[in-house]
Amino acid sequence: MSAFHFDSLVWHWPIAIYLFLAGVSAGAMFFAVLLKHACLKDQAYRSGFVQAACIVAPIAVLAGLGILVLDLTKPFEFWKILVFYNPTSVMSLGVVVLMIYQVFMYAWIAITFRKPIEDWCRPRFAFITKLSEKLATYEASVTGLLIIFSVALGAYTGFLLSAQPRFPMLNNPVLPLLFLASGLSSGAASALLGGVLLKGNPTGKEVQFIHKVEIPLILGEIFLVFTFFAGLILSGGQSKMAAFTAIGEGFWGWVFWFGIMGLGLSAPLAMNLFMTATSKRKFSYVAGTACLSLLGVILLRNFILYTGQMTVS
Amino acid sequence: MENSRRDFLRRTCALVAGVSVSPFAVNGTTDAETEQAIKYAIVHDETKCIGCNACVEACRETNHVPEGVTRLSIERKGSYGEYPNQYYHFTRHSCEHCEDAPCVNVCPTGAAYIDKKTGIVSVHADKCVGCQYCLLACPYEIRFINPVTKAADKCDFCKETNLKQGKQPACVEACPTNALVFGNLKDPDSLIVATLKANSTQRNKQDLGTRPKLFRITAKPGEITL
Ligand code: SF4
Ligand code: SF4
Ligand code: SF4
Repeated sequence: MSAFHFDSLVWHWPIAIYLFLAGVSAGAMFFAVLLKHACLKDQAYRSGFVQAACIVAPIAVLAGLGILVLDLTKPFEFWKILVFYNPTSVMSLGVVVLMIYQVFMYAWIAITFRKPIEDWCRPRFAFITKLSEKLATYEASVTGLLIIFSVALGAYTGFLLSAQPRFPMLNNPVLPLLFLASGLSSGAASALLGGVLLKGNPTGKEVQFIHKVEIPLILGEIFLVFTFFAGLILSGGQSKMAAFTAIGEGFWGWVFWFGIMGLGLSAPLAMNLFMTATSKRKFSYVAGTACLSLLGVILLRNFILYTGQMTVS
Repeated sequence: MENSRRDFLRRTCALVAGVSVSPFAVNGTTDAETEQAIKYAIVHDETKCIGCNACVEACRETNHVPEGVTRLSIERKGSYGEYPNQYYHFTRHSCEHCEDAPCVNVCPTGAAYIDKKTGIVSVHADKCVGCQYCLLACPYEIRFINPVTKAADKCDFCKETNLKQGKQPACVEACPTNALVFGNLKDPDSLIVATLKANSTQRNKQDLGTRPKLFRITAKPGEITL
């Protein structure tokens, strides 16, 4: 069986990229909120890391949607997904989540960057400052709902694949949790990478904070990967077959063991532990670690998507 | 696949009982289910099938299915046995018109739907955006994107063609050995109900909970697979 072409393959890599980008967006917003509330408070808008997250999140979610639309056989009729709904369809629910998520995402960004926005608008469009004042009074609700919807979006990327009976490896209750965890860590990585590129301080408290959260997150991911495959193997039958096809010998086996477990999870874990223990944080360390995490998540999405479609029940 | 004879008998009994007492009884089924007078299904008798592909060609012509894709195929396995007693095993692949259809459950726009009156699983080509979620979800791997309409397509029991004209589906009409029986499961006098009562049948992948309506009268398998 070739790694990228086989009979039962329906969804190709654009879907994996879409799932990746949706996860990055959800994770970036999640960490932006955490950073603001746990360490930066009103000064959040000055932080390169929060700025990076707030740039990455909208771009990623829009790019992801763009890829999804281009991948339709009728891209010009994508609006029908917005007009017609099917409550039993995870894709349909996901579209609702994506739309609501974006509303709170923009609202939260506007609240967080209220000061620079107002300073810029005051001499020009005074009415905007009124609007933003009004919006700011809802900060607590906007933040709470943004967190809920970013978690929902992260989990949705997994539910999209698990909500069908045909492929036993994808039809797996751990998948949404795994994709949520890896989506959050890809968001953290993109905030770190974007932050240091925007001249954020690699020894700043934001980096320390994210690293503190990332270590248990990566451990959690490793545990979820283990549960995912252990569950499949213990289920026996086609599930077991699917697991061995995926992580056994061959191209995707390499991707899994070397790319995902090695470069994507173990290496960033080691680097994070090292940086936390020694407090040696340099631009290159932070950026390199973040790149490895992002690579790992892209590989994980493709690995699950392709190997998941190899074995039918 | 497991032999579903007992299961089938139980269902048929329930069906017959349900139909006969439904005017008076308050049984477990919902209003829609008791009221539904038609539930189409198909039987493929593999012991009669000779693998001539007449059904495939008839379907293509009647339903204007473009070359390169098909709503129906006959898989041939074999040959088995020694000359001159060689034989093949034929399996029909086409939509199984699941009662609980994964394709319908996943479709984001409702383009994939179950026709309430007949139980036929079909596609509104206009509503379909071509996300291919249904192709991914169908456990029987029989859906495809029609290269002309760009919409998901599949067997619809000739709903828009032969059935509209009051005829049997094209594949059923074309079969030279009468290996295909199409009909209404809710009609106790129909040929399909008689056929299902008289034979032991199987349905594919029942453990997935799809409750398919393509029944197979199985031929001797020719090989042992564990
Ligand atoms: S066989 Fe496939 S296309 Fe037909 S109803 Fe079942 S899931 Fe849908
Ligand atoms: S391809 Fe068309 S019919 Fe299939 S799930 Fe997508 S919109 Fe529905
Ligand atoms: S019932 Fe009609 S659409 Fe379905 S396979 Fe037969 S000829 Fe084709």
